[in-house]
Amino acid sequence: MAKKTKIDVDHSVCGGGNKVDPRDCCKCLQICEPAIFLLHQTVGAEEEDPYDPQLWSVTALWLSLCTRCMKCVDACPEGAIRVS
Amino acid sequence: MLTASYSRPNGDRMCESCLKHGTAGKWYLNAEEYSNEIVEKYDLRDFLMEQYLNFEQMSVRKVNGVNAVGLGYKLQMPLIGKVVKHLAENVLHSQNPPKNPLVAEGHIGQVIPLDDAIAILETCAVEPIILKNCMCRYMSRGIKEACCINFGVMSDIVDKLPRFIPDDDKYFVTRKQAVECFTKFNKRGYIGSIWYAPFPYINNLCSCANPECAGIRPRVDFGMKSIYKAEYIIETQQDNCNGCKKCVAMCQFNAITYNLTMKKVVVDREKCFGCGACTHACKDEALYLRPRDEVPQFKER
Repeated sequence: MAKKTKIDVDHSVCGGGNKVDPRDCCKCLQICEPAIFLLHQTVGAEEEDPYDPQLWSVTALWLSLCTRCMKCVDACPEGAIRVS
Repeated sequence: MLTASYSRPNGDRMCESCLKHGTAGKWYLNAEEYSNEIVEKYDLRDFLMEQYLNFEQMSVRKVNGVNAVGLGYKLQMPLIGKVVKHLAENVLHSQNPPKNPLVAEGHIGQVIPLDDAIAILETCAVEPIILKNCMCRYMSRGIKEACCINFGVMSDIVDKLPRFIPDDDKYFVTRKQAVECFTKFNKRGYIGSIWYAPFPYINNLCSCANPECAGIRPRVDFGMKSIYKAEYIIETQQDNCNGCKKCVAMCQFNAITYNLTMKKVVVDREKCFGCGACTHACKDEALYLRPRDEVPQFKER
């Protein structure tokens, strides 16, 4: 099987009430051709964390559709996206 | 399983096997399924409020220990992939009384062409009718576009959730305005789709786009029955095609290609969802919708 793409969005910078609210930025969401990112209310990084419908973050959801164009990495003003 | 207590008042219900095997018929033209009585019967107000408050996070929330992050990879895994697909389809196709608003229980939808959508808006949809911002476009692009038509109690829900309320567009619309709006979206190439949300209450008439739509993507990219194809399929009248290629750009399912040798378009009917968007682009009547049942080799919804 081909190597799986992994995309990490640094939630300590973007989302979850930290430095940047992704709802004001959305650059990664809009630059991605296959639209693999999801803008969502926080569920908490771990299941046991409480979710908060008022705080939003971004997660790379449809990873298998990533074309590895790396445009999201360049587009993120906070450099919060890492593709591996 | 449908239990006796959960049957429709008139006994005319969509059976489980019909749903699974895609011979559901025009279930969406049953006016009873739009009624406020269903909302009261299954106590759906609080359920819908909770669901729409948290709508965008359903894909990242774990259900049975699995969420949709990297779904394509999960489905590729031998055996486990089949289990994941089965579990996810079970949740989406659930006909049990809805319990958990944080997952897409009983969220069954089907692509519909313009004429059926107009029939719904004119005869079945319960007022008040509202235009709300599409949640799929918002969660996948951060873009607010008011092209989602909702009926009945949905206006009470959306009233409390400012992100769904259009900024400058119309919000409450008359039946006539709803038809006009839907027609405009449909002619632009958006895919009409009608949804149980949750089963057995129909309250959403969407104008979807691929790949933004969270219902269409799992079907197109991963073969999961997250949405059913329309009761129709495209038929071509090759002699009428003048090779203008306008329909190619309208198809969101990549079902239409231009054949250089013949200088005409060719439709891959395996890929056709029967939304009818391409017919709006064709001025020469080279494309038309035909009932899917009449084309046995493509009868699977």
